[in-house]
Amino acid sequence: MRFTPTELTNKELELQQQVREFLQEELPSGSHEPCLGMAARKDKAFSLKMAERGWVGMALPKEWGGSDRTAVDRFIVVEEMLRWGAPVGHHWVADRQTGNVILKFGTEEQRERFLPEICRGELGFSIGMSEPDSGSDLASVSTKAERTTDGWIVNGTKIWTSGAHENDWFVCLLRTSPMEDGNKHAGLSQILIDLKSPGLEISPIPFLDGSHHFNEVTFNEVFVPDINVVGDVGMGWHQNTTEMAYERGGPDRWLSPFSTVEQLLREAKGTDLEQTISDLFGELVARWWGIRNLSLSVARLIDTGEAPSIESSLVKEMGTRYEQEVVEKLVHLIDLEYSPDSDSLFERLLAQCVVTFPGNTIRGGTIEILRSVASKGLKGLPA
Amino acid sequence: MTELAEVDPLVTETADRLFTQVCDHEAVQTAEAVGTAPEIWSAFAETGFPWISIDETCGGSGGTLLDALEVLRLVGYHAAPIPAAETGILGGWLLADAGHEIPEGPVTVLPNGATDVKGSLSGQEVTLTGTCIRVPWARMAERIAVLLEIDGQNMVASVDPNDCVIHTMTNMAGEPRDTVCFDNVKAPASSASEANPETFRFRGALSRSALMAGAIEKMSQLTVTYTNDRVQFGRPVARFQAVQQHLVWGAQEAALARMAAETAAREANRGLASFEIAAAKLITNQAAARATKACHQAHGAMGMTQEYPLHHYSRRLWAWRKEYGGDAEWSRWLGKAAVAQGAEGLYPLITGGSSVLS
Repeated sequence: MRFTPTELTNKELELQQQVREFLQEELPSGSHEPCLGMAARKDKAFSLKMAERGWVGMALPKEWGGSDRTAVDRFIVVEEMLRWGAPVGHHWVADRQTGNVILKFGTEEQRERFLPEICRGELGFSIGMSEPDSGSDLASVSTKAERTTDGWIVNGTKIWTSGAHENDWFVCLLRTSPMEDGNKHAGLSQILIDLKSPGLEISPIPFLDGSHHFNEVTFNEVFVPDINVVGDVGMGWHQNTTEMAYERGGPDRWLSPFSTVEQLLREAKGTDLEQTISDLFGELVARWWGIRNLSLSVARLIDTGEAPSIESSLVKEMGTRYEQEVVEKLVHLIDLEYSPDSDSLFERLLAQCVVTFPGNTIRGGTIEILRSVASKGLKGLPA
Repeated sequence: MTELAEVDPLVTETADRLFTQVCDHEAVQTAEAVGTAPEIWSAFAETGFPWISIDETCGGSGGTLLDALEVLRLVGYHAAPIPAAETGILGGWLLADAGHEIPEGPVTVLPNGATDVKGSLSGQEVTLTGTCIRVPWARMAERIAVLLEIDGQNMVASVDPNDCVIHTMTNMAGEPRDTVCFDNVKAPASSASEANPETFRFRGALSRSALMAGAIEKMSQLTVTYTNDRVQFGRPVARFQAVQQHLVWGAQEAALARMAAETAAREANRGLASFEIAAAKLITNQAAARATKACHQAHGAMGMTQEYPLHHYSRRLWAWRKEYGGDAEWSRWLGKAAVAQGAEGLYPLITGGSSVLS
């Protein structure tokens, strides 16, 4: 394990500047209601505009509508979008992971069918992993796909499916052959399912604040054609593990409270509060600077062809805990009875952070699971 | 902006090999009991490492500040009981900055500046009176480099410790932190060029973050090894989720501290690095607190003994956390810089660091 310090090249700094100018024009600072990180609003028009600039699916090959850019370039775009609180919800999943999975494991036909549309910002994807009886123990999934003559019949239930009610496609981890004793990782496959398929039912699981992100998706004899299987039948676990590496350690794991913190500084300007928060801001910028450097070095490592799964698990575990720590420090220090319907944008955002951030250390793999992944990888270190 | 320099791999390799040979657990333990470690110092001095980054024309070894800080990281990693920072990038730098001769032996400095020492100048000679506490390794120093302001001018005096009264004291790690009494001590003094209380403070903080990053990394590695070897309930304790938490927290803080210290070192090597140094010292301070807690917990009672080496690192970290600025001092400095940027400038400060402040 080694995190090597790196810095942005002049060309990368230019990209950062372009993104900042784009955001200032589209969403002038101080004038828009920022989103809190990756749980951002879906705004297809915004996604289309980003795609016009080549900033959706940007690391995918040009051949498939991408821009052949690096993981660091994508890091820069994502970082600026998230710290600005931009509504990146529509293309988020496709951009972060599904595009990569289809490129890496999909058939030529699937690449042709999905990648250009992903890069145009058109398609929204949901991910089907958890089930009522399978959470952290993901390999125990029991939603079944059974062979028919020209495809598969799917039966079962997926839960915590973000955005299924608004998205187009569903990447599901399904059991394509019965669980064997001693090898529960075998017999799983990744299959693309049209969310409009007959027999597929979507019902909301309201979030604790009443908002609608999560869904329960039930499959009742849903037919899926053969051509929708991603990669090899039975290789779903391996593909899924690879996919998880893309979703770990990026800016989405440590930037969620940033727009809240920035808004606090905006509202505190010229008041007594400015003095109160000063030392805390010192601590926050230092730790953000440090975690960002780690996260950036992971992106740089990916560009050298490595798969830094231990490093990215460490960053994700630390980053998501840090997000919660930031909120706790704000709540502790500032004597306000903040509420979701306050006139103050800062107070509204803080209330939203308090209520929704417990989920940050759960989504995409709980920190307990991450620790178990990372600590196994630490074992090989010298002492 | 000029490209960032890289550490000379030969420096890392040679220093690591040297300390592995001469700074084992027993040697460090003995140094604490005796109060100094002359043989470790001699082995270190023979390589020329103490004077890296000090110009050869001034009697130094040449090389970059980055390499000097890499050596300090390894001093921390091996808990080497020697005045490496004091002789090199602090004291050596002060002496060279004012055109003094670099002595052959160790040098030390007054970490809290000369606030407790009064000086009066007569020609090229200064007369010093006062008492300074927590002076590292004063008992074995050949020179004390004293930075002081006289009539609005920053001066560096090169003091012979034999002219002072030295009371031997230690910090929490048993490292020499002596009290030095100056009673009308006369010493040659000349004007400083870059050195002033502020640049000295930042250099001190930079030296400590490098030392601390090394010590935290070593502590984390000891913890991984120990918990994989130690068997309870029929399996290595590292297999328990509750213990894995401590392993991961230790490794994260080690990674964060090293990243912060190395980034600050690279920036300081290139030029202005006030933001990076301040952030690195604050990060390593806090990482020291978190990592010592996690690593001690994972070691159980064994970590609380003198016979097991964890304490060489944890006690140094607790002491170094307070040297050249604790959490409060650097939070305050960074907070002022952050608030002055305003809301729009806050993220550009995190990504741009000192280049935004200049």
